[in-house]
Amino acid sequence: MNALLRSLVLSLGLLHFTADPVLAQGVLVDKSEIRFVAKQLGVNVEGRFRKWKANVTFLPGDLAKSKVELDIDLGSIDLASDDSENEVKGRLWFDTARFPTARFVSSSIRSLGGDKYEVAGQLSMKGLTRDVVVPVVLRKDAAGNSAAEGSVTLRRLEYRIGEGLWADTGTVADEVIVRVRMVLPPTG
Amino acid sequence: MAAESGKRYGGVAVALHWLTAALIVANLILGLSMVPLPISPKKLEWYIVHKWIGITVFLVTCGRLLWRKIHPPPPLVAMPEWQHRAAAAVHAILYALLVLIPISGWIYSSSTGVQVVYLGIVPLPDLVPKDRVLASVLKAVHVTLNFSLFALVCVHVAAALKHHFVDRDAVLARMLPASKSKANAS
Repeated sequence: MNALLRSLVLSLGLLHFTADPVLAQGVLVDKSEIRFVAKQLGVNVEGRFRKWKANVTFLPGDLAKSKVELDIDLGSIDLASDDSENEVKGRLWFDTARFPTARFVSSSIRSLGGDKYEVAGQLSMKGLTRDVVVPVVLRKDAAGNSAAEGSVTLRRLEYRIGEGLWADTGTVADEVIVRVRMVLPPTG
Repeated sequence: MAAESGKRYGGVAVALHWLTAALIVANLILGLSMVPLPISPKKLEWYIVHKWIGITVFLVTCGRLLWRKIHPPPPLVAMPEWQHRAAAAVHAILYALLVLIPISGWIYSSSTGVQVVYLGIVPLPDLVPKDRVLASVLKAVHVTLNFSLFALVCVHVAAALKHHFVDRDAVLARMLPASKSKANAS
Protein backbone atom coordinates (compact mmCIF):
# COMPACT_ATOMS: atom_id res chain seq x y z
CA MET A 1 0.00 0.00 0.00
CA ASN A 2 2.74 2.35 1.03
CA ALA A 3 4.88 1.41 -1.96
CA LEU A 4 1.89 1.96 -4.21
CA LEU A 5 1.33 5.39 -2.75
CA ARG A 6 4.95 6.26 -3.27
CA SER A 7 4.98 5.12 -6.88
CA LEU A 8 1.85 7.18 -7.44
CA VAL A 9 3.59 10.19 -6.02
CA LEU A 10 6.67 9.60 -8.14
CA SER A 11 4.62 9.22 -11.29
CA LEU A 12 2.80 12.45 -10.59
CA GLY A 13 5.55 14.49 -12.15
CA LEU A 14 5.05 12.46 -15.31
CA LEU A 15 1.33 13.05 -15.22
CA HIS A 16 1.88 16.69 -15.92
CA PHE A 17 3.60 15.85 -19.17
CA THR A 18 1.54 12.91 -20.26
CA ALA A 19 -1.84 14.56 -19.72
CA ASP A 20 -3.51 15.89 -22.83
CA PRO A 21 -1.95 19.32 -23.33
CA VAL A 22 -5.26 20.78 -24.45
CA LEU A 23 -7.03 19.61 -21.33
CA ALA A 24 -4.37 19.91 -18.65
CA GLN A 25 -4.41 23.26 -16.91
CA GLY A 26 -1.42 24.22 -14.86
CA VAL A 27 -2.55 25.57 -11.52
CA LEU A 28 -1.21 29.01 -10.65
CA VAL A 29 0.57 27.92 -7.48
CA ASP A 30 1.27 31.42 -6.15
CA LYS A 31 -2.41 32.30 -6.22
CA SER A 32 -3.59 28.94 -4.94
CA GLU A 33 -3.58 27.58 -1.41
CA ILE A 34 -4.58 24.73 0.84
CA ARG A 35 -5.52 25.93 4.32
CA PHE A 36 -7.29 24.40 7.27
CA VAL A 37 -8.85 25.35 10.57
CA ALA A 38 -8.75 22.94 13.48
CA LYS A 39 -10.35 23.47 16.87
CA GLN A 40 -8.21 23.06 19.95
CA LEU A 41 -10.01 23.33 23.32
CA GLY A 42 -12.67 25.43 21.60
CA VAL A 43 -10.13 27.72 20.00
CA ASN A 44 -9.65 27.99 16.23
CA VAL A 45 -6.15 27.12 15.08
CA GLU A 46 -5.23 27.97 11.51
CA GLY A 47 -2.65 26.36 9.32
CA ARG A 48 -1.79 25.56 5.74
CA PHE A 49 0.38 23.34 3.59
CA ARG A 50 3.35 25.00 1.98
CA LYS A 51 3.99 22.32 -0.63
CA TRP A 52 1.53 20.44 -2.78
CA LYS A 53 1.01 19.49 -6.39
CA ALA A 54 -2.19 19.75 -8.32
CA ASN A 55 -3.21 18.33 -11.63
CA VAL A 56 -6.50 19.90 -12.56
CA THR A 57 -8.49 19.61 -15.71
CA PHE A 58 -11.68 21.56 -15.40
CA LEU A 59 -13.96 21.92 -18.36
CA PRO A 60 -17.34 23.33 -17.42
CA GLY A 61 -18.65 22.09 -20.78
CA ASP A 62 -17.28 18.57 -20.36
CA LEU A 63 -17.37 17.55 -16.74
CA ALA A 64 -16.89 13.88 -17.62
CA LYS A 65 -13.39 14.70 -18.84
CA SER A 66 -12.69 16.98 -15.90
CA LYS A 67 -10.47 15.74 -13.11
CA VAL A 68 -8.80 16.95 -9.96
CA GLU A 69 -5.73 15.34 -8.43
CA LEU A 70 -4.01 16.80 -5.40
CA ASP A 71 -0.88 15.59 -3.68
CA ILE A 72 -0.16 17.33 -0.42
CA ASP A 73 3.24 17.14 1.24
CA LEU A 74 2.10 16.70 4.85
CA GLY A 75 5.58 17.50 6.14
CA SER A 76 5.19 21.01 4.71
CA ILE A 77 2.51 21.88 7.26
CA ASP A 78 2.57 25.44 8.57
CA LEU A 79 1.32 25.64 12.16
CA ALA A 80 1.71 27.91 15.18
CA SER A 81 5.26 26.89 16.05
CA ASP A 82 8.10 24.55 15.09
CA ASP A 83 7.17 22.47 18.13
CA SER A 84 3.61 21.91 16.99
CA GLU A 85 4.73 21.26 13.41
CA ASN A 86 7.17 18.60 14.61
CA GLU A 87 4.47 17.11 16.79
CA VAL A 88 1.94 16.68 13.97
CA LYS A 89 4.56 15.14 11.70
CA GLY A 90 5.05 12.50 14.39
CA ARG A 91 3.74 8.97 14.67
CA LEU A 92 0.52 9.86 16.53
CA TRP A 93 -0.52 12.40 13.91
CA PHE A 94 0.40 12.32 10.20
CA ASP A 95 3.39 9.99 10.70
CA THR A 96 5.10 11.64 7.74
CA ALA A 97 8.08 9.28 7.96
CA ARG A 98 5.80 6.48 6.76
CA PHE A 99 3.03 8.48 5.05
CA PRO A 100 4.53 11.66 3.61
CA THR A 101 1.67 12.53 1.27
CA ALA A 102 -2.07 12.99 1.33
CA ARG A 103 -3.69 12.33 -2.02
CA PHE A 104 -7.05 13.35 -3.38
CA VAL A 105 -8.36 11.97 -6.67
CA SER A 106 -11.73 13.01 -7.99
CA SER A 107 -14.08 10.36 -9.28
CA SER A 108 -16.85 12.61 -10.55
CA ILE A 109 -17.60 16.28 -10.92
CA ARG A 110 -21.14 17.49 -11.33
CA SER A 111 -22.73 20.87 -11.81
CA LEU A 112 -25.06 22.22 -9.16
CA GLY A 113 -26.11 25.06 -11.43
CA GLY A 114 -24.59 28.48 -11.93
CA ASP A 115 -21.00 28.66 -10.72
CA LYS A 116 -21.46 25.83 -8.22
CA TYR A 117 -20.03 22.36 -8.62
CA GLU A 118 -19.59 19.26 -6.54
CA VAL A 119 -16.36 17.33 -6.69
CA ALA A 120 -16.58 13.79 -5.33
CA GLY A 121 -13.52 11.64 -4.84
CA GLN A 122 -11.24 9.74 -2.52
CA LEU A 123 -8.85 11.21 -0.03
CA SER A 124 -6.00 9.03 1.20
CA MET A 125 -4.00 9.87 4.31
CA LYS A 126 -1.95 7.72 6.65
CA GLY A 127 -2.78 4.63 4.62
CA LEU A 128 -6.53 5.12 4.88
CA THR A 129 -8.84 6.12 2.04
CA ARG A 130 -12.21 7.78 2.54
CA ASP A 131 -14.82 9.22 0.19
CA VAL A 132 -15.18 12.95 0.31
CA VAL A 133 -17.52 15.35 -1.46
CA VAL A 134 -16.32 18.92 -1.88
CA PRO A 135 -18.68 21.72 -2.90
CA VAL A 136 -16.79 24.09 -5.17
CA VAL A 137 -17.53 27.58 -6.40
CA LEU A 138 -15.87 28.64 -9.63
CA ARG A 139 -15.32 32.32 -10.35
CA LYS A 140 -13.43 34.22 -13.01
CA ASP A 141 -11.15 37.05 -11.98
CA ALA A 142 -10.30 40.18 -14.00
CA ALA A 143 -7.29 38.48 -15.62
CA GLY A 144 -9.53 35.72 -16.97
CA ASN A 145 -8.26 33.17 -14.44
CA SER A 146 -10.73 30.79 -12.91
CA ALA A 147 -10.61 30.52 -9.13
CA ALA A 148 -12.11 27.33 -7.76
CA GLU A 149 -12.79 27.45 -4.05
CA GLY A 150 -13.87 24.42 -2.10
CA SER A 151 -14.36 23.78 1.56
CA VAL A 152 -14.83 20.43 3.22
CA THR A 153 -15.08 19.27 6.82
CA LEU A 154 -12.93 16.21 7.43
CA ARG A 155 -12.97 14.02 10.50
CA ARG A 156 -9.38 13.53 11.58
CA LEU A 157 -10.12 10.30 13.46
CA GLU A 158 -11.36 8.65 10.25
CA TYR A 159 -7.73 8.83 9.15
CA ARG A 160 -6.32 8.01 12.61
CA ILE A 161 -4.78 11.47 12.81
CA GLY A 162 -4.15 12.34 16.43
CA GLU A 163 -4.02 8.98 18.21
CA GLY A 164 -3.35 8.00 21.80
CA LEU A 165 -3.37 10.97 24.16
CA TRP A 166 -4.62 13.15 21.28
CA ALA A 167 -7.64 10.99 20.41
CA ASP A 168 -9.81 12.95 22.88
CA THR A 169 -11.90 15.28 20.74
CA GLY A 170 -12.36 17.52 23.78
CA THR A 171 -8.75 18.58 23.30
CA VAL A 172 -8.59 18.67 19.51
CA ALA A 173 -11.96 18.49 17.78
CA ASP A 174 -12.60 15.67 15.31
CA GLU A 175 -13.73 18.11 12.63
CA VAL A 176 -11.11 19.94 10.62
CA ILE A 177 -12.23 22.40 7.98
CA VAL A 178 -10.04 22.26 4.89
CA ARG A 179 -10.24 25.10 2.40
CA VAL A 180 -8.77 24.65 -1.04
CA ARG A 181 -8.34 27.47 -3.51
CA MET A 182 -7.04 26.58 -6.95
CA VAL A 183 -6.53 29.28 -9.54
CA LEU A 184 -6.43 28.11 -13.13
CA PRO A 185 -5.24 30.17 -16.11
CA PRO A 186 -7.63 30.85 -18.98
CA THR A 187 -8.22 27.83 -21.22
CA GLY A 188 -7.59 27.77 -24.95
CA MET B 1 0.17 52.41 61.91
CA ALA B 2 -0.15 55.89 60.51
CA ALA B 3 -2.88 54.88 58.10
CA GLU B 4 -5.59 57.34 59.04
CA SER B 5 -8.96 56.81 57.48
CA GLY B 6 -9.48 59.07 54.49
CA LYS B 7 -5.80 58.99 53.61
CA ARG B 8 -6.01 55.34 52.62
CA TYR B 9 -6.80 53.97 49.22
CA GLY B 10 -10.45 52.96 49.02
CA GLY B 11 -11.51 49.35 49.39
CA VAL B 12 -12.09 48.85 45.65
CA ALA B 13 -8.71 50.29 44.72
CA VAL B 14 -6.98 48.09 47.31
CA ALA B 15 -8.84 44.98 46.17
CA LEU B 16 -8.06 45.59 42.48
CA HIS B 17 -4.40 46.32 43.30
CA TRP B 18 -3.89 43.01 45.10
CA LEU B 19 -5.98 41.11 42.57
CA THR B 20 -3.67 42.43 39.85
CA ALA B 21 -0.61 41.47 41.91
CA ALA B 22 -1.89 37.92 42.37
CA LEU B 23 -2.83 37.55 38.68
CA ILE B 24 0.50 38.78 37.32
CA VAL B 25 2.57 36.65 39.71
CA ALA B 26 0.47 33.60 38.79
CA ASN B 27 0.67 34.34 35.08
CA LEU B 28 4.41 35.01 35.13
CA ILE B 29 5.03 31.66 36.82
CA LEU B 30 2.56 29.93 34.46
CA GLY B 31 4.10 31.60 31.40
CA LEU B 32 7.67 30.68 32.34
CA SER B 33 6.82 27.09 33.23
CA MET B 34 4.53 26.29 30.26
CA VAL B 35 6.88 27.34 27.46
CA PRO B 36 9.54 24.61 27.91
CA LEU B 37 6.94 21.81 28.28
CA PRO B 38 6.81 19.21 25.51
CA ILE B 39 3.60 19.47 23.50
CA SER B 40 0.70 17.72 25.21
CA PRO B 41 -2.98 18.41 25.86
CA LYS B 42 -1.90 19.77 29.28
CA LYS B 43 0.41 22.31 27.63
CA LEU B 44 -2.38 23.53 25.35
CA GLU B 45 -4.63 23.98 28.40
CA TRP B 46 -1.97 25.97 30.23
CA TYR B 47 -1.53 28.29 27.26
CA ILE B 48 -5.26 28.90 27.13
CA VAL B 49 -5.47 29.63 30.86
CA HIS B 50 -2.43 31.92 30.55
CA LYS B 51 -4.29 33.91 27.88
CA TRP B 52 -7.44 34.08 30.02
CA ILE B 53 -5.48 35.43 32.99
CA GLY B 54 -3.72 37.93 30.72
CA ILE B 55 -6.97 39.26 29.29
CA THR B 56 -8.34 39.44 32.85
CA VAL B 57 -5.34 41.60 33.86
CA PHE B 58 -6.11 43.85 30.88
CA LEU B 59 -9.76 44.22 31.90
CA VAL B 60 -8.96 44.74 35.60
CA THR B 61 -6.37 47.39 34.66
CA CYS B 62 -8.86 49.24 32.46
CA GLY B 63 -11.30 49.06 35.38
CA ARG B 64 -8.65 50.40 37.78
CA LEU B 65 -7.79 53.32 35.51
CA LEU B 66 -11.46 54.20 35.22
CA TRP B 67 -11.96 53.85 38.99
CA ARG B 68 -8.92 56.05 39.58
CA LYS B 69 -10.46 58.76 37.39
CA ILE B 70 -13.67 58.74 39.42
CA HIS B 71 -12.02 58.15 42.82
CA PRO B 72 -8.68 59.99 42.87
CA PRO B 73 -6.01 58.37 45.04
CA PRO B 74 -5.41 59.80 48.54
CA PRO B 75 -3.00 62.75 48.84
CA LEU B 76 0.69 61.90 48.64
CA VAL B 77 2.58 60.89 51.75
CA ALA B 78 5.29 63.40 52.64
CA MET B 79 8.64 62.49 51.06
CA PRO B 80 11.29 64.17 48.90
CA GLU B 81 10.04 65.54 45.59
CA TRP B 82 12.24 63.21 43.50
CA GLN B 83 10.57 60.24 45.18
CA HIS B 84 7.14 61.55 44.27
CA ARG B 85 8.25 61.89 40.67
CA ALA B 86 9.91 58.47 40.61
CA ALA B 87 6.80 56.88 42.12
CA ALA B 88 4.53 58.61 39.59
CA ALA B 89 6.75 57.47 36.71
CA VAL B 90 6.91 53.87 37.94
CA HIS B 91 3.15 53.75 38.47
CA ALA B 92 2.50 55.17 34.98
CA ILE B 93 4.82 52.62 33.34
CA LEU B 94 3.32 49.78 35.40
CA TYR B 95 -0.17 50.72 34.22
CA ALA B 96 1.08 50.99 30.63
CA LEU B 97 2.69 47.54 30.82
CA LEU B 98 -0.41 45.99 32.37
CA VAL B 99 -2.35 47.18 29.32
CA LEU B 100 0.32 46.52 26.69
CA ILE B 101 1.49 43.07 27.78
CA PRO B 102 -1.90 41.36 27.37
CA ILE B 103 -2.37 43.10 24.00
CA SER B 104 1.09 41.96 22.88
CA GLY B 105 0.18 38.41 23.91
CA TRP B 106 -3.12 38.60 22.06
CA ILE B 107 -1.46 39.85 18.84
CA TYR B 108 1.28 37.25 19.27
CA SER B 109 -1.37 34.52 19.52
CA SER B 110 -3.09 35.86 16.39
CA SER B 111 0.20 35.85 14.48
CA THR B 112 0.68 32.15 15.28
CA GLY B 113 -2.76 31.39 13.85
CA VAL B 114 -4.24 30.61 17.27
CA GLN B 115 -7.40 32.49 18.17
CA VAL B 116 -7.99 33.78 21.72
CA VAL B 117 -11.38 32.84 23.17
CA TYR B 118 -11.75 34.58 26.54
CA LEU B 119 -12.91 32.13 29.21
CA GLY B 120 -13.86 29.81 26.37
CA ILE B 121 -16.87 32.01 25.68
CA VAL B 122 -15.86 35.29 24.04
CA PRO B 123 -13.88 34.90 20.80
CA LEU B 124 -11.54 37.83 20.34
CA PRO B 125 -10.86 38.94 16.77
CA ASP B 126 -7.50 37.97 15.27
CA LEU B 127 -5.64 41.29 15.14
CA VAL B 128 -3.04 40.18 12.58
CA PRO B 129 -2.90 37.34 10.05
CA LYS B 130 -0.83 34.23 10.71
CA ASP B 131 2.80 35.02 9.95
CA ARG B 132 5.85 33.16 11.26
CA VAL B 133 8.27 36.10 11.03
CA LEU B 134 5.83 38.46 12.73
CA ALA B 135 5.22 35.79 15.38
CA SER B 136 8.90 35.56 16.32
CA VAL B 137 9.10 39.36 16.62
CA LEU B 138 5.94 39.52 18.73
CA LYS B 139 7.17 36.73 20.97
CA ALA B 140 10.34 38.74 21.67
CA VAL B 141 8.22 41.83 22.34
CA HIS B 142 5.92 39.93 24.72
CA VAL B 143 8.87 38.43 26.63
CA THR B 144 10.79 41.73 26.81
CA LEU B 145 7.75 43.63 28.09
CA ASN B 146 7.28 40.96 30.75
CA PHE B 147 10.86 41.15 31.97
CA SER B 148 10.46 44.94 32.07
CA LEU B 149 7.33 44.45 34.17
CA PHE B 150 9.16 42.05 36.46
CA ALA B 151 12.05 44.51 36.95
CA LEU B 152 9.66 47.37 37.62
CA VAL B 153 7.57 45.33 40.06
CA CYS B 154 10.79 44.62 41.97
CA VAL B 155 11.47 48.37 42.17
CA HIS B 156 7.84 48.97 43.20
CA VAL B 157 8.00 46.33 45.97
CA ALA B 158 11.45 47.42 47.17
CA ALA B 159 10.26 51.03 47.43
CA ALA B 160 7.13 50.00 49.33
CA LEU B 161 9.18 47.93 51.80
CA LYS B 162 11.73 50.71 52.20
CA HIS B 163 8.95 53.18 53.04
CA HIS B 164 7.39 50.75 55.47
CA PHE B 165 10.42 49.46 57.34
CA VAL B 166 13.01 52.22 56.92
CA ASP B 167 11.02 55.45 56.61
CA ARG B 168 8.17 54.00 58.70
CA ASP B 169 5.59 56.04 56.78
CA ALA B 170 2.07 55.12 55.56
CA VAL B 171 2.91 54.40 51.91
CA LEU B 172 2.46 50.64 52.14
CA ALA B 173 -0.15 50.60 54.90
CA ARG B 174 -2.60 52.72 52.93
CA MET B 175 -2.63 50.08 50.19
CA LEU B 176 -3.04 47.14 52.58
CA PRO B 177 -6.52 45.77 53.27
CA ALA B 178 -8.07 47.76 56.15
CA SER B 179 -7.88 45.94 59.47
CA LYS B 180 -11.21 45.44 61.28
CA SER B 181 -10.57 48.17 63.82
CA LYS B 182 -10.13 50.71 61.05
CA ALA B 183 -12.83 49.46 58.73
CA ASN B 184 -15.05 52.38 59.68
CA ALA B 185 -13.78 54.53 56.81
CA SER B 186 -15.84 53.18 53.92
